Amino acid sequence: MSAILEEQLATNLYYDQHFNCEAAKLLPGEYYYTSKQMLLVTVLGSCVAACIRDRVKGIGGMNHFMLPESGGDPGNPLSTSMRYGAYAMEMLINELLKAGARREHLEAKVFGGGNVLRGVTSINVGERNARFVRDYLRAENVPILAEDLNDIHPRKVYFFPHTGKVLVKKLKQQHNDTVQKRERDYARRLNIHPVDGDVDLF
Amino acid sequence: MADPNTKFLVVDDFSTMRRIVRNLLKELGYSNVEEAEDGADGLSKLRSGNYDFVVSDWNMPNMDGLTMLQQIRADAALSKLPVLMVTAEAKKENIIAAAQAGANGYVVKPFTAATLDEKLTKIFEKLEKTGG
Repeated sequence: MSAILEEQLATNLYYDQHFNCEAAKLLPGEYYYTSKQMLLVTVLGSCVAACIRDRVKGIGGMNHFMLPESGGDPGNPLSTSMRYGAYAMEMLINELLKAGARREHLEAKVFGGGNVLRGVTSINVGERNARFVRDYLRAENVPILAEDLNDIHPRKVYFFPHTGKVLVKKLKQQHNDTVQKRERDYARRLNIHPVDGDVDLF
Repeated sequence: MADPNTKFLVVDDFSTMRRIVRNLLKELGYSNVEEAEDGADGLSKLRSGNYDFVVSDWNMPNMDGLTMLQQIRADAALSKLPVLMVTAEAKKENIIAAAQAGANGYVVKPFTAATLDEKLTKIFEKLEKTGG
């Protein structure tokens, strides 16, 4: 198998003292899903997160991704951007369906895509990511119940998959540049590794 | 490249993915492409149409890609139909199960046009050799 860039299940689990429940913290390139009464937390700069759940069964999950910067126009089905974005969304939705969610019961809330990497690149990475996630969910007929996209600040998102409740905190003042640093590392990984999952067994 | 009129059926529950595969096939010179949204839909289209090649996802509602593949192999009229699995499942046991069920190839998402081309070429070459 060649070096592939896989979306990973988040491994950072902890007990959240404030909300009094189990929680998972997602980093860029990760996703998580659960049918338990958990909290999923992530901090978004220019990345986007889709919080998707089955409104009947209460199974839900979240991803956290961005499109490869050099991946071309995400509106073009031949672009690396669209292939990677579709893959990141499908990884999460497939896990939800495998866990018993039904496609027609899915609903989404989407966040992120802030223009926080200003000056690093000429294109507005955040806006591109935000547009992709909106267009994707529309094409797949998953209704978007709420969104907080674009703008210039990073956000901390708290998603409770069981109820669908989301809390968003805009981080207008940051004490460090951890968010930007993590995203830049992730962006670099996306550009170094080919977005290609070839398996050559037969 | 094989006959540009080769008739493909793309089976995937995500319309975005069907659109991507359809466009990649077009880019490779194949424009005779139909779509199905799950294994059950795929199987009924295969039974009523004259298809030459199936590109299928694995995880789908109603009937998954593996079950569809097994049904294709069990159907005398379809059993020789080449099937390429295109899936986000990269686990070894999935790949082995697909091989055992008679898949002609296996591509893990997110793949490139080059990978798809390489797999198709390989499958067409093999079919020619065996008189497919």
